[in-house]
Amino acid sequence: MIEPLTDVVPSFFAILNQGPLTLTIFLHTIIVLPMIWVYKQEKARLDSEA
Amino acid sequence: MANKSVWSDNRFWARSAAWISGFASVLLIWLTFDTSVQISMGTDSDLKNGVTKRVPAPTVINYKITYEMSAKRGHEVPIIGGNDGKGMSLFQEKEKFFGKDDWSEKEAAEMLHLGKLASQTKNCMNCHTLLGNGAYYAPDLTKAWLDPAWSSTGALQPMTGKTTKEEAMAEFLQHPSKYPTHARMMPNLGITEKEARGLVAFLKHMSSIDTNGFPRNFGKMQGAVNGK
Amino acid sequence: MASKLLDNPFTGVGSESRQLATWYFTFAAILFGAQLLFGLVIAIQYVSPGFLFEIIDFSVARMLHINALVVWMVFAMFGSVYWLLPDETGIETVGIKIGKLLYWVFVVAIVIVVLVYLFIQVGPADEMSIWFIHEGREYIEAPRWADLGIVVVALGFVANLFMTGIKGKQTGIITVLMANMIAFAGLYLAGMFFTDNISVDQYWWWWVIHLWVEATWEVFVGALAAYGLIQMIGASRKVVEMWLWIEVAMLFGSGILGLGHHYFWIGTPEYWWEIGALFSALEPLPLVAMFIHVMYDWGKQQGKKSLDGTGESVVNNQPAFLWFWMNAFGNFLGAGVWGFFHTLPQVNLYTHGTQFTSAHGHLSFFGAYATILIGMMYLAIQGKNKIKVMKNTKSSLWALGLTVGGVVGMTIALTISGYVQVLVSRAQMGATWSGYFDGQASVWFAQGMDWRLIMGVVTFAGFIFLIKDFLTTGQNPVHQK
Repeated sequence: MIEPLTDVVPSFFAILNQGPLTLTIFLHTIIVLPMIWVYKQEKARLDSEA
Repeated sequence: MANKSVWSDNRFWARSAAWISGFASVLLIWLTFDTSVQISMGTDSDLKNGVTKRVPAPTVINYKITYEMSAKRGHEVPIIGGNDGKGMSLFQEKEKFFGKDDWSEKEAAEMLHLGKLASQTKNCMNCHTLLGNGAYYAPDLTKAWLDPAWSSTGALQPMTGKTTKEEAMAEFLQHPSKYPTHARMMPNLGITEKEARGLVAFLKHMSSIDTNGFPRNFGKMQGAVNGK
Repeated sequence: MASKLLDNPFTGVGSESRQLATWYFTFAAILFGAQLLFGLVIAIQYVSPGFLFEIIDFSVARMLHINALVVWMVFAMFGSVYWLLPDETGIETVGIKIGKLLYWVFVVAIVIVVLVYLFIQVGPADEMSIWFIHEGREYIEAPRWADLGIVVVALGFVANLFMTGIKGKQTGIITVLMANMIAFAGLYLAGMFFTDNISVDQYWWWWVIHLWVEATWEVFVGALAAYGLIQMIGASRKVVEMWLWIEVAMLFGSGILGLGHHYFWIGTPEYWWEIGALFSALEPLPLVAMFIHVMYDWGKQQGKKSLDGTGESVVNNQPAFLWFWMNAFGNFLGAGVWGFFHTLPQVNLYTHGTQFTSAHGHLSFFGAYATILIGMMYLAIQGKNKIKVMKNTKSSLWALGLTVGGVVGMTIALTISGYVQVLVSRAQMGATWSGYFDGQASVWFAQGMDWRLIMGVVTFAGFIFLIKDFLTTGQNPVHQK
C-alpha cells in the first residue's frame, strides 16, 4: 500500500507524496478544515448577539 | 437582524483570511527548511563516497556527466562518473576539464564562484534561460554542457578550432561575434579568459543539478525536420 | 513651506497626501512609456536581429523593459495608497513630509540606475559590478546600493501607511493594506544576497517574484478594487469589504503555496510538483470571484438607481470604471486562464522557458496590474480637477481600445510562437541548441514575432492617446463639474 519513495531524499513531505495528489490534498485539508471552528465560534457569537 | 448567516459575516471572513494566510505561510516556511537542506551544495567527500546530492560539489567538474533515464524516477537524471545500470551515479569515471581531472575543492569552488558572478554581471539571464528561467532570445543553458553541438562531432566545437568542449566553449564566450551561426548573434560582453573558464565550470556544474527531468529528452533527438 | 510654493491644487484634509500621489502617478506614467519603448526595441530585435546590435543589446533593452515595468507599477501602487489614505482614514497622512522626501530619493535612484543600465551595461565578474551596475537577476536586477535604497524608501512608505492607519479610522481596506504592504516590503529582502548555488539563488528569487505578483500584488489589487467600487458606484462598504476578506483568504490560500509551481525544475525536490500543481491551479478562483464581484456590485447599484426611474448611470467616473472593469476581466484572463494553461508540471515540462511564459506575462501584468493602476490615475485626475461626473473622451476610448487590443494581440501572437517552440524545440527536438534554432526558424514562429511587433506598435499608439487624455481631459467640458 505504501509506495516506495521516488524522491532522492526521504522527508516528511516526500513520505506524504504517495501517489496522485495525496500530499497536496492533505495540505489543502489542514489549511481549510480549521475554518469549521472559526465558523462555530462566529455562529455562537451571532446567536448571542441576536 | 435575527438569524444572520455566518457566511455573510465580515468577521468570519476576516478571521478565516487571517488563519489561512498565516497557516499557509507557516507551511511554506517549513517546506523551505526541508527544501533548503536538500538543495544545499554537496561536498567533495559526498562525491568520493558516492552520495547523490541534488546540487553536487563544485568538484563535479572532475567527473564525466551524462543525462540518462532513471527507471525508478520515470525521467532523466544527471549521471556523474558512470551509470550503475539502474540509473544511479557511480562517481568513478573522471573527465579532464581544461587539462586536468583533479581540481581541488578550493580551486573548483573559486572557478564556480567566478562563473556564477560572471553569469550575473554579464546578464546571461536576459537573453538565455538558466534552469528554464530568464529570457527566450537564446537557447536554454540548463544542460548546455551536455549539448551535442559542443561535442567533437557537433557544429560548434570545430568552428572554434579547439579540440575539447571546454576550450571551445570558453573561446566562443570570449569572442562570440567571431563565430556567427545565425542572424541572431551573441554580443561581445568583454568576457576575459579567466571569466570564460569560470562560466564553463558554472555550466558544467549546472548540468549536474537534478532538475527532475527538465528538459525532457535533452540531446536525444537529432536531425529531425522543421515543423512547417 | 515648500508645498505652498507649488500652488497646491487641493485643499482640505489629505491634500498633501493626494499631491504626493499625483507625483507618484506622473513618474509612473513616464516609466510606463519607457517600458513600452524598450519593449519595442526587443520586439524589433526578434524580427531583425541586427537592430542596435552591440549598441543596446537585447539583454540591456529587455532588462530596461522589465525593470521599468516593475518600477512603474510600484510607483503607481505607492501613489494609489497615498491617494486613498485620506479618504479611508479621514486624516492627513502621518509623516507626509518624509514621504515626499523619499519620493525624490526614489526618483533620483531610479534615474541613476537607468543611466547605468544604458551606458555602462556590463561590468567585470566581481562584487563591484553587483554593487554598482546590476545584479543580473531577472526582474530584480537593481544593483545592491539601489536595493538598500529601495528598502529604505519602502520602509518609509510602510511607516507612513501604518502611522496613518493607526491614528485614523481603520477600515477593512486599510487593515488589509497594512498587513499586505509589510509583506510586500519584507519579501524584497529575500532577493538581495549572492550565492554560488543557482538552485538556492532561484529558490529565494521566486520568493520575491512570485510572492509579489501572485500574492501580495493581487491582494493589493483586491483592496484597490474595493476602494474603487465604493468611490465610483457608491457600493456598500460592508459588502465590498466582505468580498475583500474572501478574496484575501482565497488569494493567499492558493497563492502562497502556489509558489510551488516555480519549483518543478530548479533542483528542488519532486514533492513540489503536487504542491505547485494544485495550489496554483486554484489561483484563478479568486480572480473569477473578483470579476463576479465587480459585475454584481455594478448591477446591484445600477438596479437600485433604475428603480428611481431617472435612468442615470451610477458610475461617477466612466474611464476609471472602464479600466477597473478591464482589470476584473484581464486579471481573470491573463493571470487566471493564461497562467493555468501551463501551471501543471505535466504541461510545464515542455512550456517552461518558452514564449508561452512570455504570453502569460504580457497579458497578466497588463490585465491584473496596469489596468487598475491606470484606473487609479483617472480617479486622481477626477479629484485633482474637482470633477463630479467624469465622462469618457475620444482619447480615453482610443487609449483603452488600442492598448487592450494591442496587448491581447501580442498575447495571441506570443502564444502561437510559444506553441511552435514547445512542439518543435522541446517535444520534437529535445531542447538543444540546434533544437532551439529549429524552433526559432519555423515560419509560424517568425509570423508570431512579426505580429507581436505590430501589436506592440498598436499598444504604444494607445499609450500616446492615454497620455494625451491624461494631460487634457481635466479641462474637457464634457465632464460635470
